[in-house]
Amino acid sequence: MLTHYEGFAMTEMMGKPDNPPRANGSLCFSSEWERTAFGMALALAKQGYFEWDDFRDELIAEIKSWEDAHPVDRSSWNYYDRWLAALEKAAVKTGVLDADEIKAAFAT
Amino acid sequence: MDDRFKYRDDREAYSAARVRALEALLIKKGVITDKSVDTVLDFFETRMGPFNGAKIVAKAWSDPAFKDRLVADTPKAIAELNLPEGMAGAEGEHMRAVANGPHVHNLIICTLCSCYPWPVLGLPPYWYKDPTFRSRAAREPRAVLKEFGLAVPDAVEIKVWDSSAQIRWFVVPERPAGTEHLSEMELEALITPETMMGVAVAKAS
Repeated sequence: MLTHYEGFAMTEMMGKPDNPPRANGSLCFSSEWERTAFGMALALAKQGYFEWDDFRDELIAEIKSWEDAHPVDRSSWNYYDRWLAALEKAAVKTGVLDADEIKAAFAT
Repeated sequence: MDDRFKYRDDREAYSAARVRALEALLIKKGVITDKSVDTVLDFFETRMGPFNGAKIVAKAWSDPAFKDRLVADTPKAIAELNLPEGMAGAEGEHMRAVANGPHVHNLIICTLCSCYPWPVLGLPPYWYKDPTFRSRAAREPRAVLKEFGLAVPDAVEIKVWDSSAQIRWFVVPERPAGTEHLSEMELEALITPETMMGVAVAKAS
């Protein structure tokens, strides 16, 4: 079926362990950086830099390792922190960026 | 414990800085542009979402003839409105509206996640895909609705519509009493995704 990429991507996530927080039918971002992190991942996948499923595998793995490290106190949970970590990993794995480049960009 | 998960007091500022650095790097390398993020988000924020459903329902409340057309041929009626393209296209073309009335209350459920009418309703809430919700809503809708805080009188029939890849249902809730003086735009604010799923009724603010 012909469908918008954005629609396809979000529909794929619904009801899965990595599905994004939303309120009243809309995605909800608590700050601008969360929105930017979300948009970058979708833009990269849409442009074919990596497969959406590959990004999601990273995201699911990130969520799981965070949960394993925080079995009791989950007050510091932030979905988009995990999203960002998954995005960096997916970008490195698929060769869009290399890890040193990211480190250097962050240091400046 | 993995020390990259150590709690940082400046976590928020730290994440914000990391995102800024990553975006700047991707732009510098020509992978994305400074418009890429807004282009993607525009789709969710202004084109597809529950605000479309609210417009359709508000129009139906204000114009009974439109409501009749909406129920008779949903895509055709939606096409009359000035909504973003795509609404009456691929994703929206199997949309069907069912109207609540004094003797009938409609509830939509879905056995596949992809059949939620999200161009109109936005993204489904977390419980919508829950197998318990789906099977109980099909079997004992009255009890489930009561748990949602909605007591449907015994005299009112409850119809359950199971969306599928072929048809995506949404509910036209009843216009609440005491809203006769409101404009279409003011009415839109009363129309939540829950009312268009049939797990709530619209209330006069």
